[in-house]
Order: sequence, then C-alpha cells, then structure tokens
Amino acid sequence: MRALLRAEMLKLIKQSKTYYALAAILVIELLIFITAYYQGTTILDLLLDNLKQSFYFEGTLLNGNLIMYIVLNSLWFNVPLILMIVTSGLVTDEYKDGTLQTVMLQAVKKWKFILAKYIMAVLFTVTVIALMMLTTFILAYSIFGKGDLVVYINTLNFFKSADAFRRICWAFASGTVAMVFYSVASITLAILIKDSAKTWIAAALFLIITNLLLKVDLGISALNAYFFPKLIDTWQQLFYFETNWLAIGLNNAVLLLYCLALTVAGTYLFNKKDIG
Amino acid sequence: MRFALILLLVLTTGIAQAQKIDADLLRIKQRMDSVQQFTARVILDLDVPFIKMPTKTAQIKYAKGKKMEFSSHDFVMLPKRGLDFSLNEIFKYPFITVDRGTETRHGKLLKVINVIPTDNRSDLALATLYMDTRVSRVVESEINTRKNGTYNLLMQYAPGSSVLPANVEATFAIERLKIPLNFMGKDTKIDRKQMRGMETKTGKIKMRFENYIVKLG
Repeated sequence: MRALLRAEMLKLIKQSKTYYALAAILVIELLIFITAYYQGTTILDLLLDNLKQSFYFEGTLLNGNLIMYIVLNSLWFNVPLILMIVTSGLVTDEYKDGTLQTVMLQAVKKWKFILAKYIMAVLFTVTVIALMMLTTFILAYSIFGKGDLVVYINTLNFFKSADAFRRICWAFASGTVAMVFYSVASITLAILIKDSAKTWIAAALFLIITNLLLKVDLGISALNAYFFPKLIDTWQQLFYFETNWLAIGLNNAVLLLYCLALTVAGTYLFNKKDIG
Repeated sequence: MRFALILLLVLTTGIAQAQKIDADLLRIKQRMDSVQQFTARVILDLDVPFIKMPTKTAQIKYAKGKKMEFSSHDFVMLPKRGLDFSLNEIFKYPFITVDRGTETRHGKLLKVINVIPTDNRSDLALATLYMDTRVSRVVESEINTRKNGTYNLLMQYAPGSSVLPANVEATFAIERLKIPLNFMGKDTKIDRKQMRGMETKTGKIKMRFENYIVKLG
C-alpha cells in the first residue's frame, strides 16, 4: 500500500496539472486581494452607510480577517471545481494513457490501487487548503493587518480580532472536510465515467446541483438537515454570532461518513468493473 | 378695542414668560461648564435588532471647545448623539424654555422642561429635559432634531456629587441596512416582508463609564 501511495504521490508531483491548479488558486487569492485593496473601503462604506448617520466609527474593518473571510468564500465554487478537476484526473488519466492495464498486470490488488487514489486525493485536498490558508494568512495580515471582522449572515455580525482569527481557522478546517467530500465524489465519478472531459462536466454539474440544492427545501426535516448538499456550508455556521459547535461537529462527522460511503462505493464499483 | 388690548397683554405676558430660561437648567449648564476636560474608559453594549456585536471598550477624551476623541484596540461604534454631556448642542443657539411641571420617574421627582430653539440654524427642533433639581443633573432627555431624528438619553450617576454620568443609555431610530449583494454570505436568506418591516428600527446603546479623570475649571 505504501508503495502505491508513493507512486501516486510521484504522479501528482510530476504532472503539470497539479501546478496549474495551485497557480489558479493563488490567482484567485491575488484577485481577491487586489479587489479588496482598491474597492474594499467603498464596499464597506456602502454597507455601513446607514450606521454612519448614528455612529462614529473607531478602527478599520478592512483588515486581514475580512480578507481571509472573503478568500474562504472561494470554497463555494472556485476551489472545489479546481480540486475536482485535478483529483478526477488521478483516475481518468490512467484510463486515457492506458497505464491502468499495465499496473493491473503487476501483483496489485484493484481495491488497494483505487484506495491509494482516494487517499492521495484527500492528501492533495488537505495540502491545497493548508497552502491556501497559509498564503492567505501571510499576505492578508502583512498587507491589511489585524482587526475586527464584520460578516453579514442575516444580521451584521461583528467579531473581535482574536475571536475572528479562531473562527477563520475552524472555518478552514470545516471547509477542508467539504473540499475532501468533493474530491472523493470526483474520484467516484471518474470511476463511473472513465473519460476525463466527461468527468469534468459531471463534476461541474455535481458542484452546481449541490450548490442549488443547498437552498432548496426538501420537505423532510432529516433530509434538510443531513442530505449532503445541506452540509457543505457548515463552515459558514462558524460566523453566526451564536455558534452551535455541536451542530458543526455533527455536520462534519456526517459529511465524513458520506466521504467514507463514496469511497466504499467507488472501491466496490472499481473492483467489479472491467479494466478495459 | 378693549378685547384687542387684553389679547395683546395676554400674548406679550406669555411670550415674556416663555422666553425666560429656566433657572434650574442654567444652574445645570453652569455645573457642566465647569468641566474643562475629562478622560474615561467607556464600556459599550450595542442593542440593535440587525447588529450583533460583543461588548466593546474605548477610551474617550473630552476637552472643552474641542471635538471628543476616541481610541480603541477594537472596532467600536460610538453614538453621535448621547455623548454630549455638556449640553453644548442644546446651548449652541438661542432658545426658550417652557416649564412642563414635574413627573415621577424611577422613583424620583423630576422637573420637566421643553427647550425650543429660536434660531433656524439649530438642528434641534425640541428637547424635553427631565431634571433632578435637588442635585442639579439632567436625568433623562428626549431630543428631536431636524435632520438626525429623535433620540432619548437616560443617565445614571454614581452616588455622590459627580457631574458626569456613570451610565448612559441612548435610544435612537435606525434605518435598516442596505447590504451589497456581493457581501452577503451564501447562507443569507432574503425575507422581503421582514426587510420591509425593518425599514426603521429602534436601537439602543448602553455606555458604562469608568476611571473618570475630570479637570474642573
């Protein structure tokens, strides 16, 4: 298994797609930074315009914590899409290049081979989010400094700087679980579809439908609470003024169970399927 | 002719009475004017329906004739109205007072007066002041302004003869927020009915003052 994981890591490091993905995420970050630098004050002024009639403001809200929160919002679509494209490639490239048959000629168990793909997808996802978090922290704090965070989720919620930082860290952790779910789903889709372009379309569709279903009332309370599209926004709950830690923990645990279920289903399907 | 003379007499007597500025208010003003400068730590608790904010602290610095200065490590929102302990805004332009008698509030017998500015430049439309004449303090006020709406102030003082309040509660009308769509979290639900109902809301800010350093003139 270790040798398989090492081989998968080597493939990931060697392929240019990985670096394109990392560069794309950094470009998104940079665009957010540039927009915030030039338009952040205007947006905040507009947001707080009514309050300015009644209050004097002391301190600035355009700070590193706000930038990190905006970067976190790329977890809705941009980042999962990039992750799904790269991770599905772990399987589809094997089909496309015909390397799958070569590997299967060796004394490699099919379930072990595909499990190594899943594990590598998870590791890659965690690494990308960690890198994203680290670069955002360094750039956001060095350019914009510390300060209180303001977030609008039904009410205008203010968090003190230290509290905001703590919440952002937890949000990145919770967001990582959601991103792992997308990566695992994309591997499963790749097993089903095999073709890379078709898998990308399916992955994008999966992402869009998941985002759409997030807002839809499914009629049954259990579905509204624990159906996977309802869990992908769990990180956002860390910015409610009253944080329900138990619900956040439970949602992430359920999402991890979905990941496990997808992995088991994918491994089973791959094991049953003909390689050709 | 006789009726006209009586009417003129009544009117002029009324105006003469109304234009007399209340002696208790002048005494309070004189007391307030003795404050040359002060610094204090203020602990703020904001209570606005659509704003959730933790308790904040700030340092305030006042010097007579100067704009009040604030400093804080946090982002703080201080009310534009409610920190005018010296009643400068009221006394800025000529005014008249009308005695409204007495009223018992919070177990205290308070003298009630109306302050009506006589100069159009004043932003003040009408102020109702509730004064504890025994200790020469304004305890409560309802301020109606021309441009900045209405706000109420409730002031509590530490036992003793302190000039400045230990607690101030300012109540004011506040318009609902106009949120740019791109700033909204994805989890935000837009309830138009609720938003329309939130056109104007009443907000409250409680301020607790500590560590006063007052320099009297």
